[in-house]
Amino acid sequence: MEILQYSIRKLFSGIPLILGVTLISFVLMVYFGPDKTYELLGKNPTPEEIAEVRSQLGYDQPFVVRYVDYLRELATLDFGNSDSTGERVDALLARTIPVSLALTAPGFVLGNALGILLALFAAYYRSTWVDKTIMASAVIGMSISFLIVIIAFQIIFASSYGLGWFPVRGWSIGSIGDYFSYVAVPTMATVFVALGYNTRFYRSVLVEEMTRDHVRTAKAFGVPPSKLFYKNILKNSLIPIITRIVFSIPLVIISGSLLIESYFGIPGVGKITYDAIISGDQPVLKAVVGLTAILFVLAQLLTDIMYRAVDPRITLK
Amino acid sequence: MNTVAITTVRRESLWSKAFYKFSRDRTGMISLVFVLFYMLIAFGVTLGWLATDWSDVQGGKWEGMSTTYWFGTNMIGQDIFSRAIYSTKTAFEVGLVVALIATAVGAVIGAISGFFSGTWIDEVLLWLMGVLDSIPFYLFVAAIVFAMQESPYAMHVAMISTFWTGSSRLVRGEVIKLRGLEYVEAAHAIGVSELGIIFRHILPNTTHILLVQATITFVAAIKSEVILSFLGLGVKDGMSWGLMIAESSQEVMAGFFNNFLAASVLMFGLVMAFNMFSDALQDALDPRKVS
Repeated sequence: MEILQYSIRKLFSGIPLILGVTLISFVLMVYFGPDKTYELLGKNPTPEEIAEVRSQLGYDQPFVVRYVDYLRELATLDFGNSDSTGERVDALLARTIPVSLALTAPGFVLGNALGILLALFAAYYRSTWVDKTIMASAVIGMSISFLIVIIAFQIIFASSYGLGWFPVRGWSIGSIGDYFSYVAVPTMATVFVALGYNTRFYRSVLVEEMTRDHVRTAKAFGVPPSKLFYKNILKNSLIPIITRIVFSIPLVIISGSLLIESYFGIPGVGKITYDAIISGDQPVLKAVVGLTAILFVLAQLLTDIMYRAVDPRITLK
Repeated sequence: MNTVAITTVRRESLWSKAFYKFSRDRTGMISLVFVLFYMLIAFGVTLGWLATDWSDVQGGKWEGMSTTYWFGTNMIGQDIFSRAIYSTKTAFEVGLVVALIATAVGAVIGAISGFFSGTWIDEVLLWLMGVLDSIPFYLFVAAIVFAMQESPYAMHVAMISTFWTGSSRLVRGEVIKLRGLEYVEAAHAIGVSELGIIFRHILPNTTHILLVQATITFVAAIKSEVILSFLGLGVKDGMSWGLMIAESSQEVMAGFFNNFLAASVLMFGLVMAFNMFSDALQDALDPRKVS
C-alpha cells in the first residue's frame, strides 16, 4: 500500500520531465524538421491540394493545439498513422520494439554481468598485476570507437576475409539457431564496448566500499574474503550499481541500437527512428520521444523502489 | 645574541602538489607527450603546413602502400595518409570547442544551481538537466542538424547542449559542499554580493573538477563526432575519421582495409592517450580518489 501510494505520487512528479522532453522535441520537430507537404503531392499541385495535404498532416493548426493533441496521443498511446508508410504507429512499434529488445538484451545483460565480475576480480586483487591488467584492458576497450568495433567484428567474424561464421547483415529469424547467428556479432560488439566503461565504474564503486571502516572491522573479525566480498562489499555497493543499470535501460532500447541497427540493417526501433528523422515522419518521432520520456520516469520509480529493497534504511516518502 | 633560524617554507597548494604528483606519473607523462604530438600535427594542418593535398585526386584507385602514398590511396585515388592527418585537425577542433564551451556552461549553471539549492532556481535547472538527459542523443543531434539548416556547427551545438549536464551536476555537488564553509560565510558577512561569491570565491575552487571534466568531454566529443559523421549528421565539408570510416565501409567489403585502418589507428591513439592523460590528471588533482 505504501509502495502504491508512493508510486502514484512519483509518477505525478514525473510529469514535468515528460512535458519538458516532449515540448523541446516537438518545437524542434515542428519548426525545424523537414516539411512533408510536397513529398505527398503530385506535380503542379493546386493551392487547394496543398491546403488539403497540410490539413491532413495537421500543419495548418496552431502550435498549442498540435502540442495538446500530442499530449492527448501520449496519454492514450494512440499516435495515428505514420506519414511515410501509412502504417499505424502502434503496430509499427509493436513490430520493431521486440526486435530491438531481442537484439540488445543479450549484450546489455552480458556487458553488465561480465563488468561486475571483472570489477570484483580487479577489486579483490587490488593493486596486483591482475588488477592492473584488467584496468589497462578496460582503458584500451574504452578507447576504441563503437563504430570501429562494429566494422572490425563484422570483418573478423562475418566476412569472407575473416572467419565467416555469422551472417554479414540482416535479420531473418526462423529458429532459435537463426537468432543466435544474427545476434552474435552485434552482441559481441556491444559487450566489447560496454565492458571497459562498466568494469571501471563498478570497480571504483567496489573499491570505495572496500576502504570503509565496517569492511576493515569485518576483516579484523576474521570474516573470510568470499563472504566479505559478497555480504559487506557487493551488497553495500548495490545502490550505484542499480542506478547505472536501470537508467541505461531507456536509452539502450532506443539510442543504443540505432548505430547497430542501421549498420547491420536490422528492422528495430533505432532504424525506424533514424528513418523517421531523415524523412520528417512526425507521428513516429512523437511516439518514440514520448515513450522514452515515460520510460525515464518509470526507471526513476523503479530505482527508488529497488533502493528500498536493497537498503532497509531508505524509506519511501 | 640570539640568532633566529630562518627556514624557507615551500608553499604547498593543490596545484603545486598536483603538478609534482603528475610529473612523477610515468603513464601520465608519456600520454601527455602523445597528446602534445597530436596537437602539434593539428596545429601544422591548421597553419597549412601539413596534409594540404588531402582532397587532391592524385593516384590510381586503391594503390597499396608506397613511398609516395604511405597508406595507399582510396577508392578515387586520394592519399589516405594525408586525409588521416588532416582529420586530426578536425578531431581537435571539435574536441576543443565542445569541451571548452560545454565545461564552461556546465560550470556556470552548476554553480548557480548548487548555490541556490533548495530554491526554485535549483529546481528549474535540475529539471532542465533531467530533460536534456532524457532525450535520446542521436535524435536530438539529428533534430538540431535539421534545425540549423546544414550549418557546419550544428553538431557542435548539439553536443554542447547535451554534454554540459555532466559537468554541471558535479560542480553543483561540489558547490553545495563549499557553500557551507566558513570563508563563504565570511564573504557574506563583509557584504560580497551573491554573484561575487559564486564567481570569485566558489567557482575558482572547482577548477580541478572542471579540468578533469574537460578532458573527459573532449574524448566524448571526438568519439561522438566519428559516429555522427558516419551517420551523415556530423562533418559536412572537410575530412574526419568518421567520414573516412564511412567511405571505407564499401571498400572493406571489397577487401581494401587501408582507409579503415588508417582512421581507426590514428583515432585510437589519440583517444587512448587522452584517456590515460585524463586518468593521471584525476589522480593528481583529486585528493579523495581511492585507486
